[in-house]
Amino acid sequence: MSAAERQGSVLRDRFLPFISEDCVRCGRCVKECSFDALVKQEGRIVANGGCVACMRCVEMCPSSAIEVRHAPPQMAPHPTFTGRVRESIIAQAGSGGVLLSSCGTDLPYDVIFDDIVLDAAQVTNPSIDPLREPIETITFVGRRSGRVRLDDGGRLLGGSGPLVAMDMPLMLGHVSLGAVSLNAQEALFMAAEKLNVLAGSGEGGLHPDMYRYADHVNSEVASGRFGVTPEYLRRTAAVEIKIGQGAKPGHGGHLPGEKVTELISSTRMIPLGTDALSPYPHHDIYSIEDLQQLIAVLKESTEYQVPVGVKIAAVHNVGAIASGVVRAGADFITVDGFRGGTGSSPRVIRDHAGIPIEVAIAAVDRRLSQEGLRNRVTLCAGGTIRGSADMIKALALGADVAMVCTAALVAMGCRVCQSCHRGVCAWGIATQRPELTSRLDPEQGARRIVNLFHAWNEELKEVLGAMGIDSVESLVGNRDRLRYLGPNPKLAEIMGIKHIGEGWG
Amino acid sequence: MTSVTSDVRIMRDGRKEATIDASSRDPHGRPVDQQTLNEEIRRVIAAGAGRISVTGVMGQRYIASACTDRELYIRIDGTPGNGLGAFLDGPTIEVFGNAQDMTGNTMACGRIIVHGNAWDVTGLAARGGRILIRDSSGYRVGIHMKEYGGSAPSIIIGGQAGDYLGEYMAGGSILVLGNGCRRSPVGSSIGAGMHGGSIYVRGPVEKHQLGIGAALQPLDDTDRQRLEDMISDFERCFSLRVTRNWPEYLKIAPLSSRPFCGHFDPIPI
Amino acid sequence: MRIESPRTGARQRNEEAYAALPAYGAARPEGSSYIMGGCGIAGVMNMAGEKVCGDRIARMLSTMSERENGLGAGYAAYGLFPDDLKDLYCLQFLFDDEKAMTVTEEYLKNRGAIVRDERVPTQRVDSLRPPRPIVWRYFFRPDPRSEKFRTKEQSEDECMVEAVMGINGAIPGAICISSGKDMAVFKGNGHSYEIAEHFDIARYDAAMWLSHSRFPTNSPGWWAGAHPISLLDWSVCHNGEITSYGVNRRFVEMNGYRCSLLTDTEVITYTWDLLVRRHGLPIPIAAVIMAPPYYRDIERLDENGKKLAYQLRATYKEAFLNGPFSILVGRSRPEITMVAMADRKKLRPLLIGESDDGKTVYAASEECAIRSVQERAETWEADPGSPMIARVGEGIVRRGIEPPFGVMDR
Repeated sequence: MSAAERQGSVLRDRFLPFISEDCVRCGRCVKECSFDALVKQEGRIVANGGCVACMRCVEMCPSSAIEVRHAPPQMAPHPTFTGRVRESIIAQAGSGGVLLSSCGTDLPYDVIFDDIVLDAAQVTNPSIDPLREPIETITFVGRRSGRVRLDDGGRLLGGSGPLVAMDMPLMLGHVSLGAVSLNAQEALFMAAEKLNVLAGSGEGGLHPDMYRYADHVNSEVASGRFGVTPEYLRRTAAVEIKIGQGAKPGHGGHLPGEKVTELISSTRMIPLGTDALSPYPHHDIYSIEDLQQLIAVLKESTEYQVPVGVKIAAVHNVGAIASGVVRAGADFITVDGFRGGTGSSPRVIRDHAGIPIEVAIAAVDRRLSQEGLRNRVTLCAGGTIRGSADMIKALALGADVAMVCTAALVAMGCRVCQSCHRGVCAWGIATQRPELTSRLDPEQGARRIVNLFHAWNEELKEVLGAMGIDSVESLVGNRDRLRYLGPNPKLAEIMGIKHIGEGWG
Repeated sequence: MTSVTSDVRIMRDGRKEATIDASSRDPHGRPVDQQTLNEEIRRVIAAGAGRISVTGVMGQRYIASACTDRELYIRIDGTPGNGLGAFLDGPTIEVFGNAQDMTGNTMACGRIIVHGNAWDVTGLAARGGRILIRDSSGYRVGIHMKEYGGSAPSIIIGGQAGDYLGEYMAGGSILVLGNGCRRSPVGSSIGAGMHGGSIYVRGPVEKHQLGIGAALQPLDDTDRQRLEDMISDFERCFSLRVTRNWPEYLKIAPLSSRPFCGHFDPIPI
Repeated sequence: MRIESPRTGARQRNEEAYAALPAYGAARPEGSSYIMGGCGIAGVMNMAGEKVCGDRIARMLSTMSERENGLGAGYAAYGLFPDDLKDLYCLQFLFDDEKAMTVTEEYLKNRGAIVRDERVPTQRVDSLRPPRPIVWRYFFRPDPRSEKFRTKEQSEDECMVEAVMGINGAIPGAICISSGKDMAVFKGNGHSYEIAEHFDIARYDAAMWLSHSRFPTNSPGWWAGAHPISLLDWSVCHNGEITSYGVNRRFVEMNGYRCSLLTDTEVITYTWDLLVRRHGLPIPIAAVIMAPPYYRDIERLDENGKKLAYQLRATYKEAFLNGPFSILVGRSRPEITMVAMADRKKLRPLLIGESDDGKTVYAASEECAIRSVQERAETWEADPGSPMIARVGEGIVRRGIEPPFGVMDR
């Protein structure tokens, strides 16, 4: 909030920047701050209110003179009417509006990944050394046929495909141009190319300059059908129909008109300055047969050469929905858990709707196995995969591929300050303002993302080796290698994993 | 339990020679168990035998393990079981037949000569001494051999060896002569993680066969001297002729003594 | 002051401890969820189809005495029945009691005709611990038109699979240990020589024998849990541990098999049945699926080989047996066949042998097993992931050193 906006508000800032004696008064922090939270007054740098803790000034200060301190609400402590709850009520009483936020939910839900531990091989089974012995992480995305047929001469008659091979079981999730800047998107695509994985294009279409990365792009067909042209469908490596998103299940998207710049307008193919609205449902999909038609027309339009998948949010009936989606012809399914990130979403949906990805993966995997369909499709899962341990646990619970987004943005500079929806991201990521987007160098961003996921893949190999497994497909769905160590044993049962202390079976 | 029969005689040179017959079988056809045989071998050693001949060996494990007498000579006829000469620290063992797995495990000093094949994990973690195999060896041969204090182990194989030859090698030498091999006499992942020592191969080796940290390098004078020593020993042991046409020999050596720098990040978080 | 260890063999001391553990016949051990082991395998085949006496295989197995601790051993014989019985399914069962036997016979009679049945001859071996289940064999002809089968008009083989899975899963105290034509499995809780004597396997002459001796590390002895694990004419002897068991198990269960034997070997048997019998894939292709070449080596194959290898890895990734293993696999149709292979890192021992006169092929965990019955033989190791295939009437079709698609055999 700017100083002007703050007048009349009884809510104090949550964060306060402190400038120490080391400050050399270069004024760089004032320039870097895109939230007007610092000003130079009488030669000194002072806080101006509205700090969101994006950490840009801290990391850019040449003398490391800035500290951002958390200032929790000062109201009398109360366990039920927490400070935050009271602030929400006060804000809405003032504005009458739907509270908006971004990134993933920040409510203190248990992360179930943290209640799961991994097995290692000992004595009866050798561990394998990832540094000296081959451990394979190549992962295929797309349709599999369930069996291979050969003619009498041993030649293939049909089989699995179309399939895209990735060097690791990880893909970059969808981030639309509009939610993020073109530079940020290019960094993601460039990284995907270097890592040889897929990156989602988001629902904002694909900018012409980005077509050089098309072999690594998983293009999204969302309810607004922005930028969906024959070239978009045919040249990219995969096509994904977005039915839902974990952070806002059931919701569409809303990019306000003031953010629809020339760049966005041309990429999404909508008039300059109009709102870019993604409808809540696809208006040609009101039931599973309709989804089948959309999948079929996309396959026909790409001459069956490109895997066509569907992304769904993790909700209560996700197993049955996934089964329907597979029967409707999807080559891959992406399930997005409720902790997933977003550029903008109403808080009430972001914080309260959906189910965690850990349970969703297990539910989908089990349901598809029961119906004999599991080995026909690739299951991708995300929201939130924070590190290699989460990725490994997601694979062991039943996902073929871990979908990662927030971590890639953090690698590029994001500090998860939950201000994306305001469009003034100081790191040049979640903004369209040229003076901000120019701060992000796509090559440098790509390099950092590549470093991050390369490290995760090496960690994956360390764990696989420790488990005595030399190829990642032998971990996918291998729930025997996990044990539950949390407060709710029923969860372990639902996820199909054993409790710690239980032996092999 | 079956027993062994042994017989000790005094040789002309005053040394004692023992003959142990391990060929008896129990009613189920099972050979003498390894503990009984090894006990007898240790007994005759303690009684002063300088030469031991064991016949009818059929799979008994750990023969001559941890023996230390440098003057001791043991001849084995038959098929010694796993772990022949494990922790050997002195004696010479000569096998007329094929050996099994883990021959010369963690050997420190001595000689093991096999007139036949030895299978997997030969010479694991050897610290000294020499193993000579007339025919072929198996997989994971010479893993983590090391040199220390002037003692360097060596393994010489007449035929071929399988994958992971010399993995984690830290010192010593391995020579594979490739007799009778139509394709490469070694497998893949050769010298994976090697950070010392040398592997010599007589025969084609392609780059994709090399393990992480290993590279093909030219022979120098030290190498040729080493090869001459190993080859002439092999020739004497097995009465075979081996060529000294050095261009036929390749050397595989470590790229660095610290092959995994930069892989780990020690930052405290 | 030190106390010296007594002079009796260490192995005997351990085996005294095992004697105190409970033992089980057909019924599953309570509270057990998984049984691991380190073991010995041995196989022999006369390639002309001439008969090999059972005592030969028993001797091979017993020579590797270090690889067993008396908690399980078994033998599979192929080509042992006379012409009038060869084409009937021979079902051999372990029954804990007469009741289990009665229920099972009822079950079978509802699904076909028992042409002949008899007690499997056994001898008294005092050292063999109780329980000693009843071992009975039935020569059976299934009736695909029977109302009792879930799937109508399926093949006879499918009827048998359904029946065996049904009995093993649902009838307490009854386990079917072999269900193929012209083959039979003899196994139980004891040393290799004890089981050999109990079943008097020297009375049988067969063209091919496969055998296994167990070394379980943490479980009670269980007659039904010993190897070979068999379904139809497939039998598998396995040394090692499958680290991908959870994945493989779900895959076979998704394809209609029921796992009831608490051992990873079971999934290996069902995977062979699925890939070769149901999906019609040649044995070398099934071997590539179960022990696939590395991608870096696939890249060096020719175009067709590359395409095929990628298809197999992508389509059948859940059938990849990860972890160390060496296995012997037998089948009797179309001809008696032995397959011997090890995992792609060759982490378990496996020797192949051929007698100097070219008549007999051997496979075993240790050379001494082969030498103990065949003095003059050539021995070699198979390449990792490469199957040795030998067939009665044809000899050694693949030595196990060929490239993955080198010899495209049935």
